[in-house]
Amino acid sequence: MSNQESQNPFHTDVTDSLAISTETFNSPSLVEIQELERQVEYIVDDCFFTVGQVVGMRTTVDYDAVIWWRDHYREKFLAAMMAFGNRWMQDRSNVTTVAIMLAERAVRYSDGKSAIDVEAARKAAADVERHCELHARRAARRQGHDASDAAVPRIAGYWCTF
Amino acid sequence: MTPVQEVDYILNDCFFAVGQAVGTQKSLDFDVIPWWRARYRAFFLHAMSANGNSWLRDRHRVTAVGRFLGQRALHHAGDQPSIDLRTAALASNDVETGCRMSAEREGVSTPKASQS
Repeated sequence: MSNQESQNPFHTDVTDSLAISTETFNSPSLVEIQELERQVEYIVDDCFFTVGQVVGMRTTVDYDAVIWWRDHYREKFLAAMMAFGNRWMQDRSNVTTVAIMLAERAVRYSDGKSAIDVEAARKAAADVERHCELHARRAARRQGHDASDAAVPRIAGYWCTF
Repeated sequence: MTPVQEVDYILNDCFFAVGQAVGTQKSLDFDVIPWWRARYRAFFLHAMSANGNSWLRDRHRVTAVGRFLGQRALHHAGDQPSIDLRTAALASNDVETGCRMSAEREGVSTPKASQS
């Protein structure tokens, strides 16, 4: 899926503010934290939309699973943003690719059930996070870093492994 | 949960439903997300606060409307590779018109999108 952005009469300053990020975001101020808390909602929405796209009309999702996924990923995304700033516009394509994997795993775990339940949602999230961690370690090794290096999460998947 | 706490979960549920109907044929421009979020957050909060609507009771109907929103966005996007703000607004207009008509038929005095 492509992620094209268009400018039009409805354009708001949201994406402009998202573009503001810092390499080191060690101690965000209260105002910055409030802004990140506002922005993380759009990111979580974006991921739910993508998971819905991939699930399609094959099945649906239980509300408990929605609650679990939201609580789980909002916390992780916010932690990543507190550490690195909001890099969503740069990372959106990679993270939505991971959301595609999450959806496929959830559909698989819900096989034989009426919907994706919280158990399937949890199992799918665990698979995806394992994949992200392995990918990060492999990428670190390729680049000659120690796989336990603190920089590893930044190489891949830090949005869902932070 | 209070309505203000629950509305974020409800919006996530609805974004999932919209995505289901859009499928993988088209992407969504990111600036549509804050626009839809702000719009439906206000509608949903009104429905929950003023009318005491229950998400678990209404979820089936509202997520169906979410899927209809996705279908209309897909329709208005035509040959475009993604759903932009213009097509999102057209889709919202279609859906809200339908919801208003439905609410009037049901005798709801303050029709809102969330009361489809």
